[in-house]
Amino acid sequence: MLPEKLREIVELFESFSEEERRESLIAYAEQSKQYEPLEEEAFDLQDIRKDEECADSVGLHLKVKEDRRVYFKIKLGPHVQTLTRAMASLLCEGLNGSLLEEVLELPQEFIKRIVGGELYRVRSQTVYYILTRMKGICRVCKSRCAVG
Amino acid sequence: MSVVEYEMSAKFKQYAHPEVIVDTDWVDAHKGDPKVRIIESNEDVLLYGIGHISGAVHIDWRRDLQDDVVRDYINPERFAKLCGKNGIGPDTLCVFYGDKSNWWACYTLWVFQLFGHKQIAIMDGGRDKWLAEGRLVVKEAASPEKTIYPVPSKRLDKEIRSFFEETLVFSERKKQLVDVRSVGEYKGEITHMPEYPQEGVLRGGHVPHAIHCPWSRAANTDKTFKSYDELKQLYEGELALNVKDETIVYCRIGERSSHTWFVLTYLLGFKKVRNYDGSWTEWGNRVGVPIEKG
Repeated sequence: MLPEKLREIVELFESFSEEERRESLIAYAEQSKQYEPLEEEAFDLQDIRKDEECADSVGLHLKVKEDRRVYFKIKLGPHVQTLTRAMASLLCEGLNGSLLEEVLELPQEFIKRIVGGELYRVRSQTVYYILTRMKGICRVCKSRCAVG
Repeated sequence: MSVVEYEMSAKFKQYAHPEVIVDTDWVDAHKGDPKVRIIESNEDVLLYGIGHISGAVHIDWRRDLQDDVVRDYINPERFAKLCGKNGIGPDTLCVFYGDKSNWWACYTLWVFQLFGHKQIAIMDGGRDKWLAEGRLVVKEAASPEKTIYPVPSKRLDKEIRSFFEETLVFSERKKQLVDVRSVGEYKGEITHMPEYPQEGVLRGGHVPHAIHCPWSRAANTDKTFKSYDELKQLYEGELALNVKDETIVYCRIGERSSHTWFVLTYLLGFKKVRNYDGSWTEWGNRVGVPIEKG
């Protein structure tokens, strides 16, 4: 079961032709700066790193409200690929406001429904990168809450 | 390349085939020339949509050049259709550029050569240099007038492409065989480039007797090719390759080796260079095939 906003995005992408799908991914990629953290913004948890398998640094910033709803901001290095940029915006839009547990329990098959078979074949692992990092920071957050 | 008439730089004049390389100034001046088609080919297949040189068409290495069901390139009929759709005629000068130091631009140029298209050139420095110079890019996809491109009679696989069996012979006979991947890939410590998911190959290492020279040693930090003297010193001096002997180059899937193929063939004038596009994803996965590590 996908959170409502993410489900809408997935269904929209499924209705697209390949060309429309690419155009929409590019549009999402170009919006990625909207999801960058502001300088003065405070977060509950931050995970900024450059992994071996990624072309540049990706910083995840997480706020968890008292009702356990999560809000992500993501800062991407200049060399991050367009598809990864698109996934960052799209997942912020689709998941912000979801419950922490909803993010942790997300099945990853919806990614392929967004990206489509053609692009998925080109970068079958890269497309999961941002979601994996989001789940990772949520997992850390959950375990810290449990300890606390 | 008869349509190119300009004051060529001293750097280009030294290359064995200076007619196959142009600079960003030349492209800026000729981007509307009807005899010229600018072609962008990238690893990041969505990058063209973010912005590209005005009038440039996009050729996607996977969607446009690869067969859908066989690990092979498109056939001559599909190549003719691809050219026709992009307004390319048999005499059109195709100028390729792209991201990643022109890996995919060289790869697409190499595929065009497989079909015998003779009018070809690379824009030195590729997409990064164009952007670094603050030159204009547009978002609107080019829609050139369609042409009818004659179906090539054959693909020149024997001339510029190497298959597994031929590469095996080069390995066994210790002929000129160059692995252009990163140090870690050659040694067998990783199975894909650094900064990429480590996927797709079961074993790490290199083809026995392949010498190692990462593609990047042929490039400057601004993504342009090194000078003739620097390249000659590297390949003929340090690596002791003989310009008259046949050479096979390979990487992981054939794009980085296309860069080296271009350097050896056109910039240094090696007589016969073939690209083993099956590369490590074939050799490293193949049952019963020896590899070397370290």
